[in-house]
Amino acid sequence: MEDKAMNRAAWSILPFPSASNSASRRAQRKDFLSALRASQSPVILDFSPCRSLSFEDIDLLLECMAHVAGRDTQVVFVSGSRATRVLLEVTRISSLAPVFNSIEEALAPPETGAVRDAEDRAQDRQGVSQSQTLWSA
Amino acid sequence: MVPGGDDFTGMRAARPHGLAAFASPRAPYSSRLPILGNDVLQSWTERVRKLGVQSLWLASGAGVQAATSALAEFARQGIERLLVIELKSYAEMDLADLVRFHCERRSPVTEAHDAGGQLGVRLLDRPALRASGEKHESSCPPTDSVQTPYQFSGYSKRILSARERQELVADGLTGACAMRPLGTQIREQVWIGEDVKVATSARILGPTYIGARTVIRAGATIGPFASVERDCVVDCGTTVERSTVLPDTYLAPGLLIRNGLVDGGHLEHLGWGAAADLESAGLGNRIPRRGSSRNPFSAATTDACSRGDNALVPNFALSSSAPQPWLQVQL
Repeated sequence: MEDKAMNRAAWSILPFPSASNSASRRAQRKDFLSALRASQSPVILDFSPCRSLSFEDIDLLLECMAHVAGRDTQVVFVSGSRATRVLLEVTRISSLAPVFNSIEEALAPPETGAVRDAEDRAQDRQGVSQSQTLWSA
Repeated sequence: MVPGGDDFTGMRAARPHGLAAFASPRAPYSSRLPILGNDVLQSWTERVRKLGVQSLWLASGAGVQAATSALAEFARQGIERLLVIELKSYAEMDLADLVRFHCERRSPVTEAHDAGGQLGVRLLDRPALRASGEKHESSCPPTDSVQTPYQFSGYSKRILSARERQELVADGLTGACAMRPLGTQIREQVWIGEDVKVATSARILGPTYIGARTVIRAGATIGPFASVERDCVVDCGTTVERSTVLPDTYLAPGLLIRNGLVDGGHLEHLGWGAAADLESAGLGNRIPRRGSSRNPFSAATTDACSRGDNALVPNFALSSSAPQPWLQVQL
């Protein structure tokens, strides 16, 4: 994890397709999957461009996870918005890979994640949150 | 008078005072949506009935203006005292004590508060009603300078808030408040309504409530601290935990609903304060029901009210062309 903080270039940051029209979307999807396949480094899937997730997005996301499942590729998600984060939890996709709020947070040293984790546990004790999306590797 | 309300319900009592109550449901959580199968309006109606009141008025209109004009109309009819209940909270309040307090203080307006602020329950005397009407007609903002607070220390929750709604569900399931799940208790802290279908492989973890005609499919897990209200379908493998699913909701297979409130295709996460659209993600939606209405006040009420039914105060609808935005109900 220290490597992650020190060497941002070692991570591939892939923006999740967010085009609204179907032609652009298909092109983006193709490029996205190609980039994912070709990536030799850990991958950050960045949902920041997406306001929310449609059923096509979830389908694509599951396809991504299937691609990386048989490889030794590390994947993390950057949710970008709370709505996306909620959907990642609802679909249980957040149990497959860690979720961060921003790229900076994803690349931060693990201590930050640990602090955030502690904050989330404090929320859990209040009976309002059960987040499992923050982590420390 | 009814901040942010699109509809409201009003009640007027024939004796011993002019009494009224109003509701201010807010999308997406109407005050008429059931909580553990219970209707909060019915709960308030029972409390009004205990005052010896024989009839009340239920009103529905277009928010603040309609509510204010309704009050002015009551003043014009010569009503001496009016009890106004906005249906925004569930409170185990002794209304007789409120009336006693009001009479002792001789204040034109008494407003019930709890630690969180106003509960939407107030008593108004004729001068206050008249003043409300005048302020409405002159478009002046209402002043609260003559209000006397009635501090309520009993059990109360605001039902328009998803979080407090879920707290009320948890309290109802554990006996921490007087509200009990409407159904049959099949084992410790597990209640189900009529015609519920639960697959053999589904797990029900108490405390939990499953409303009438709801279907729980194979491998689903409901609970703990879950309330799935009437006419829902929870598909295979989905988990509903520490959450409420409002009526007529379909949840797709394999989901994890935790610390949330789901209403059709809308999910509010109680911990993160975030909402998500399940419908566009293909994860959930509203189940259309033939002949039913999501309007908090549907037409069926009128007949039942005219029969003087003592059962649940049914739904009723007031058309926009109705001469008055309220309806009389015999208790």
